[in-house]
Amino acid sequence: MDLVDLISEKRFIGQEVLTWLWWKSEERGGVVALPGEGDIVVVFEKHMLLEYGEGDSNESLICRGLQTELQEARTGLLMGKKLEQARIQMVYNDYEWNFTMAAALMEFRNVKLPKTGGESGNNDNPEEREGMILERIFLFEELNRIVLELLRLFLQIRVGAEWREELQKIREWISRAERAR
Amino acid sequence: MGFIKGTASYVRFAVEGELPENIWDFIADRVVSFAFRDIDETYDEDSLGWVSVSNMFDTDFDYASYASGNYVTLSMRLDERKVSGAIVKKFVQKEEERIKKEKQIPKIPRSMRVEIKERIQNELMRKALPVPSVFDLCWTLENGTLLFFSTNKKAQALLEDLFKESFVMTIIQQIPYLCGEHMLEEEGADKLVQITPDVFM
Repeated sequence: MDLVDLISEKRFIGQEVLTWLWWKSEERGGVVALPGEGDIVVVFEKHMLLEYGEGDSNESLICRGLQTELQEARTGLLMGKKLEQARIQMVYNDYEWNFTMAAALMEFRNVKLPKTGGESGNNDNPEEREGMILERIFLFEELNRIVLELLRLFLQIRVGAEWREELQKIREWISRAERAR
Repeated sequence: MGFIKGTASYVRFAVEGELPENIWDFIADRVVSFAFRDIDETYDEDSLGWVSVSNMFDTDFDYASYASGNYVTLSMRLDERKVSGAIVKKFVQKEEERIKKEKQIPKIPRSMRVEIKERIQNELMRKALPVPSVFDLCWTLENGTLLFFSTNKKAQALLEDLFKESFVMTIIQQIPYLCGEHMLEEEGADKLVQITPDVFM
């Protein structure tokens, strides 16, 4: 299968990961336990985009607001829409990233890296400049590594026997959104 | 942008293919061979090539400025001459009116109209100043992955071509499914092929 077909056929995986992660983070009040890493703060905030259907019949729903106001987005899930984009705050080892994940293609958008002391360095000095670049690369790579570990965690469950149970919990969480309206 | 400063948007690619033993010599040679060539003083429609991430006018890469530790950091620069359709239409009509008046004819034959449009387009293109776009990348040699700092599909397609031409290696965008193929054990990866969308409500 060529990449274009693969992207179209498998775009649901990214959307399922993001929806699962939203539930997973809310399950423990914004904290997700990552095996081998410990607790990671994952907060869905401010901005979400949900999709429904494919091709010409594709519909989208944009929801904005604080975390507690994302009720509308959960109602969207109840209508069968899938989470395609979300603004996420992630905190790990004293580093805080803010980024928008576009799920189907796994695009990292508007990534705000953690603040570090190295940003005020002298850019004309080649050594300091390289140091600054290496630091930024480290922070990008660290974000990628954590996101990939979360993806791995989801996929291991998704292809495993425990998925049915996990799916049932997600469904209950989504249906609670309806009852809370 | 955003790789060096500020907020960033990017996608991940896997680099597929074998690097030669003398990696840095190979990269040095290829980066310079496919460096960006300026078209400000020519009539070329566009130009695509590598520049330094810190300076879009640096195509010499002194002291291997593209090497940061075990990473290759480069910018892909595209300069394009563009003329809007409305401008072409206006000048084609103007020229057609001039010819009709000069030759005292009520209508211009189709073949001549095609020729006029082509000529005007070329003239306008020559007058247009090349518009630059710069896209950063960071290639991790250790694990064969690449971050490309743009979510623009056209830029990604250009990168795929330029990277292949320069380094004789292919880059493949890492969508969640492909990441899963790499990350899961054999049995899990086999199951991944078969999964279909689930209903979450």
